[in-house]
Amino acid sequence: MSIFTNALSIAWKDLYSEWKTRQVLTTMIIFAGLVIVVCSFAFDPTNNTTKAVIPGAIWIIIVFSGILGLNRSFVSEQKNDNMHALLTAPLDAASIYLGKFLANFIMLLIVEIVAIPFLFLLFDFREMGSFPYFILVLFIGSFGFVAIGTFLAALAANSRSSEMLLPIMLFPLVSPILIGAVQATKIILTNIDKLPNAISWIQLIGGYNVIFFVLCVLLFEYVLEV
Amino acid sequence: MKTTLNLEQEPFTKLKDSLVHRVLVWATIISILTSFYLIFIYAPLETTMREVQKIFYIHVSSAWVAFLAFFVVFVLSIMYLVTRKRIYDIYAGISAEIGVVFTTIVMTTGPIWARSSWNTWWAWEPRLTTSLILWFIYLAYIMIRQMDGAWDKKARLSAVFGIIGFIDVPIVFMAIRWWQSKFHPIVFGDGPSQKGGGVEPEMLVALITMTISFTLLYVVLLQKGVYLEKAKITVENWKEKLREKLVG
Amino acid sequence: MAYMLGAYSVAWVIIFVYLLTIGKRQTKIVKEIEFIKEMEK
Repeated sequence: MSIFTNALSIAWKDLYSEWKTRQVLTTMIIFAGLVIVVCSFAFDPTNNTTKAVIPGAIWIIIVFSGILGLNRSFVSEQKNDNMHALLTAPLDAASIYLGKFLANFIMLLIVEIVAIPFLFLLFDFREMGSFPYFILVLFIGSFGFVAIGTFLAALAANSRSSEMLLPIMLFPLVSPILIGAVQATKIILTNIDKLPNAISWIQLIGGYNVIFFVLCVLLFEYVLEV
Repeated sequence: MKTTLNLEQEPFTKLKDSLVHRVLVWATIISILTSFYLIFIYAPLETTMREVQKIFYIHVSSAWVAFLAFFVVFVLSIMYLVTRKRIYDIYAGISAEIGVVFTTIVMTTGPIWARSSWNTWWAWEPRLTTSLILWFIYLAYIMIRQMDGAWDKKARLSAVFGIIGFIDVPIVFMAIRWWQSKFHPIVFGDGPSQKGGGVEPEMLVALITMTISFTLLYVVLLQKGVYLEKAKITVENWKEKLREKLVG
Repeated sequence: MAYMLGAYSVAWVIIFVYLLTIGKRQTKIVKEIEFIKEMEK
């Protein structure tokens, strides 16, 4: 399957150049930390009721620091006309999408691994309903967010003001994921008795992911045409 | 080498509306007046909500037109991507614009109704919230259309977004309905904009007439908008030719 | 009653504002055509 090996090499290229500079990832992590600090100013962490805002805070961190990475993902290819090189290379458009998606997804997961324990630490959050399900929600929610985000980042990169265009396109489209993920996270963290509800939210997000992942792979060649 | 533009023979020099368009304009005006008669005089007052219930007619019919407009955007986006004819793109752009206008009507009449019957300006009721998200999606669509660059690039990207955005709408609706029903007790009943709960036949007649007249208004606005857009493109071409003539 | 009147007037204000923007577009195009005709002479 050459599509997947090509995708892997594109993802590898992105992650390797990120490893060399560590520019985007550092910015994302610092930004996530700042969002946590802002959250702790906005919702008093010593107050017991603030436990209720933790699920929301988790997804605010993911969305806002994710969008920083997504913004850079295709704009960075415009330097030295890299995008043209990618397009003239004997690659399927789908493999460019898959590669970019994979790189963005891995970067977002790294940010989550660093930022969420930090959030729990600062908000003094100890008991959790179910750890495996928590990981599952984070994984599946971030998957959908990055899938549609990578697609729209490629779309926005055609514009000179892509940093402004991307959030405006992305937020309304991912609203089902955000609703589902926040609700599922809330149930899993604080109210584990209602686990079946959380599972049906996860199924909703899963359905959304399948539909949009397929759509994005199919439509990506139209976004990249020159 | 001097070429004249032959402006007198071009169709857009006088910007005269076609006969079909004028007939449609008059049909729209007459049907809107008729539906006003049906709404305010013919249809009976609802027993509990009294006059406020009459917001229902304009609210539901503009929601219908907005949805129709966005569906048209979706179909035309697919057709543009398949055929690459500019006319589909022009129609899609104008249709999205009109859809946003009618969604704005839904978004303003909805809270007024909510204020009078639920005593709150905004309820996170599934239909109302979905219209809000819909409004944001198509504002983004219009922003893509106003991007810098060549028309075919903008047409291609906005067509892609038109497809993705429309497919997103039912999922948004489903997510919001779950969110509302599973975690809050149902306070407001089933929401006001419901066909259920005893709609009398006179009310239904008024609603259908209002919907038809708004659909006619949509067709008229679409026709006019597309006509002006075409004229604009022609004028741009003339300007280009004129510039070449002046330089050469 | 006031709510109903409010809702209907808001709805029609929105429609008329849109009609006005269409009118503006039209006058702009007419002006440009006039200008081009002027240049042609």
